[in-house]
Amino acid sequence: MRATSSGRDVASQAALRMLMARLPGVTAVDGAPSIEPPASGDPPTVQTAELVEGSSMQVIKVPDPEADAQSGFAAFLDGAQQVQVMGDHAGIPIVYGTVSAAVRLRVNRRMVTWEGLPPRVKRSFFLPRRYLPPLSEVPSLVGESQLEVVDSAKANKNGSFPIMHPTALLDSAFRAVNEMREQLEHEFAEAWCASEKAPLFIDGGISGIPNASSSCAVGVVKSHRTLFAEGDALRTVFRLSKGERSSVFRVSPRSRSTVYSWYLRVRDVSHHDSMWGLVRVEIARCDRPTERADEISRWVIAEMSPLSLPDGRWDKMAYGIRDCEEFLRAIS
Amino acid sequence: MSRLEALGRVVATERKPNTPHEFHFWTAIDSPVGIGTIVRVDGAQPVDGQIPHIYGIIVEGFSYTDLQTPLHDVMSHDGSPTQAGFASTERAEIRLYTAAVLRQIPEDPLQPVPMGQVFLAEEEDVQVALRMDGYLRDGAHTGIPIGVYRAGGTDAVIYLDADFLLGPEAAHLNITGVSGLATKTSAVEWLLASIFEHFPEDKGSIAAVCFNVKGPDLCYLDQPGRIEASDEQLYEKLEVDPKPFQSVEYFAPYTAKGLTLNTFRNNEALLDNITPLTWGLREVLQFAEVLLNKDDVDAKADALIDFIKENIIDKEFSDPILQKKHMVQSFADLDAWFRDVLQGMERKDGDSWRTHHVATIRKVRNRLSNISTRCAGLVTDSGAVSDLPFGSFGDRTVYVVDVANLEEDAQDLIFARIVSKLREHLERRDLGVKHLIVFVDELNKYAPGDGADTYVRKMLLDIAERGRYLGLVLFGAQQFRSQVHRRVVGNSGTALFGRMDPDELSTPGYAVLSPATRTKLATLEKGQLMVRHPHFTQPIFVRFPRPSVMQGREGSERYPQSSEVSIESAVLRGLRPLDPSITLTWVQDITALYTEQEVIRARNATLLARPTDVKAYFTAQFRKIIPAQPAPRPMAATIRSAPENDPYGF
Repeated sequence: MRATSSGRDVASQAALRMLMARLPGVTAVDGAPSIEPPASGDPPTVQTAELVEGSSMQVIKVPDPEADAQSGFAAFLDGAQQVQVMGDHAGIPIVYGTVSAAVRLRVNRRMVTWEGLPPRVKRSFFLPRRYLPPLSEVPSLVGESQLEVVDSAKANKNGSFPIMHPTALLDSAFRAVNEMREQLEHEFAEAWCASEKAPLFIDGGISGIPNASSSCAVGVVKSHRTLFAEGDALRTVFRLSKGERSSVFRVSPRSRSTVYSWYLRVRDVSHHDSMWGLVRVEIARCDRPTERADEISRWVIAEMSPLSLPDGRWDKMAYGIRDCEEFLRAIS
Repeated sequence: MSRLEALGRVVATERKPNTPHEFHFWTAIDSPVGIGTIVRVDGAQPVDGQIPHIYGIIVEGFSYTDLQTPLHDVMSHDGSPTQAGFASTERAEIRLYTAAVLRQIPEDPLQPVPMGQVFLAEEEDVQVALRMDGYLRDGAHTGIPIGVYRAGGTDAVIYLDADFLLGPEAAHLNITGVSGLATKTSAVEWLLASIFEHFPEDKGSIAAVCFNVKGPDLCYLDQPGRIEASDEQLYEKLEVDPKPFQSVEYFAPYTAKGLTLNTFRNNEALLDNITPLTWGLREVLQFAEVLLNKDDVDAKADALIDFIKENIIDKEFSDPILQKKHMVQSFADLDAWFRDVLQGMERKDGDSWRTHHVATIRKVRNRLSNISTRCAGLVTDSGAVSDLPFGSFGDRTVYVVDVANLEEDAQDLIFARIVSKLREHLERRDLGVKHLIVFVDELNKYAPGDGADTYVRKMLLDIAERGRYLGLVLFGAQQFRSQVHRRVVGNSGTALFGRMDPDELSTPGYAVLSPATRTKLATLEKGQLMVRHPHFTQPIFVRFPRPSVMQGREGSERYPQSSEVSIESAVLRGLRPLDPSITLTWVQDITALYTEQEVIRARNATLLARPTDVKAYFTAQFRKIIPAQPAPRPMAATIRSAPENDPYGF
């Protein structure tokens, strides 16, 4: 997933003009500044995972990671989002979000766009409707696209709404954009798994994908706000060297599918912190997790070349995912 | 890829914008385009109700990946190049090209090239792009094929406009290329064949005079050469018959000894269309300044030479100091006249004669007499003249003047006189043809950009600047265009470039070409040319077929040059093409009693006259000598025998 921001482009300016016509009192903000992902998204946590391979977390050397550098992944899926504060209405931030997703197929070692589901770009205003007057009905002019508006101030699972604080409203808008992007990514993953058999490399977890039981979806998680190991098990994970993986364990998030997962070190950690080159792989549950984990670990390691530089996350990022991000940057 | 599919898209950024004369586009990695490929852009938006079409030629290409620094690639593969091949994914890569605009339609208003799809130009597109459609119309076809443009499956004939190649609109052609690749000579041979085949009938007759200044390259234009199947296809495409020139005449002076012709083409089998080139005093004195430099000929000497021209040559001249009347018609006559004048002055013990000082007379005598020595073989003491057929030049005929083996002075004299005569006849419209091409190689030498202002250079400048009004067209060639006089190359409407020397390409004259185009020029194969023509806004790369004439090297192996032979053999070689019945024995019988000079003079006179009865004419050239009869031996007087009783007898 990529989160970026930039100044107003032609499309967003047109959308802002439409919004201003329907919501009097909105003033444009110079430069359309972006909002960074909220620092207090999900708090860092550790969880004890249920092992499905052995009785304790082990360091397992991936067999011959360099011998067969050919990867079995046929395609890569990633999404991108762009969040901008376009305007202001009496202190209420007017947030404009752009989300996009695409599957990039590898043909003869070169990346092309998968035609099974063409890339999609969605642009919407994320407005806290409960704190704003209703939008007036203004008929669209010929040639104008419809103004998409998403309510970003919905009640959370506890039934509480975000307070009328600009920062809180920005955080809730960001979460709404995030959800929209995840939803879009899931649509692509499902479309792939419904029509293709070859494995798909997905940037991020797959437990949220309704059809995650498909063996073709492989998620590779680069961020580790939640660590699925504690105590000695966690120390075992941190001890992983390049080409080593942890034991396979089960991840069962609430309201999401249960998947198998393991940690994998894809880069030499010497002179770096413990998270350097550490990814967590998610696959659908299967009968022979050890063989499957070894095979997919080899593929993931193979995908680390060429480097994804100059991206700052190059130690964990597969080049195919970087290609997706560059593609989405170009079209959105 | 279908020919109708787009092969690229125009792109423009603030840093690299498109202009009315240049645009950028990207293509797929495997797109069949390269430097010199012609493309067509179809604009997306109509201008004045018309979708714009822009034609361009690729002049630069770029390729890069998303790498920020090469170090990242090193790190990707742990510093091992062999590992790079195992990466599952190739880096994203771009092929970005820059094209120079050849033509925009509509041409007005002239706007920057719009965004749009890019297509490979097909044959019809090439004609429009190069504005050839203007002179390839039915009924007004003045196209002369120069070669075939090839790119991505497109084979398009490239035509030069005869009006801009041979006048009157523009004229002259200049060819540049490194030596040794046969590019320059081959290109001229091919182009002459193409001109002779395609020059419009309604524009009149045309011929060519080629000066062979080095090697045997132009010596076998009438002999068939070896061409390959690929060349035959080109000939067919270009609609030129792959055969040697049907009408070629060769001219060469004799060697200093005067026995054989001083040319690579003096093999007995090829003597039927070669004519000796010999001039007498009258012809040479007309161009004395070619051979006499300014240091030699001061005002006083110039005055004496003028006096000789006005009053001595071809006139009966008498003077009180002379012992006899003189009729000077040859160098030998002139020398006799000088001797008589100087002896007369000595007798009178005078310092001057008719205001000319004795020292000046001696100096002019020395310089003029020296000419026949310096140009031996060309200049005859006898005054016999054998020349090009001025006044009866034939249509589609090549006249080759072989000066390759001559001294520089003789080359200059031949060049100056022949070009002057051609010019005179073209001015009077009585040369025999309406248009004449003069091919001169080594312009570096004959029309250098720096150095002395020679007579030959002045003549070349004159042709370059005014020749097209007369129908006199200069096809010049050289290795280093930058070293040729700017007015000579500048007046050449059409320029051809073969493979170029990198040093030459680094000179300012080539700065208008892109680095990629210069690189391509430095690596051109045989048979490839870059063409500049007034109708083309950018240079075009073409392929031309190997000339269908025997190449110099092959010719010199098949027809080896004859070495000096005996006087009888030389006469036989000269006369047998005129009368095959002549034998060596007959020549020996006829010439046995005469001096070598007399025999050579008789042969030259016969070759010049080309009589019906060769034997009779040749025999008649000799003074009558009554063969010496052996004197009857006087009867020896009988020696009386001594008496037997002679006491003194033994």
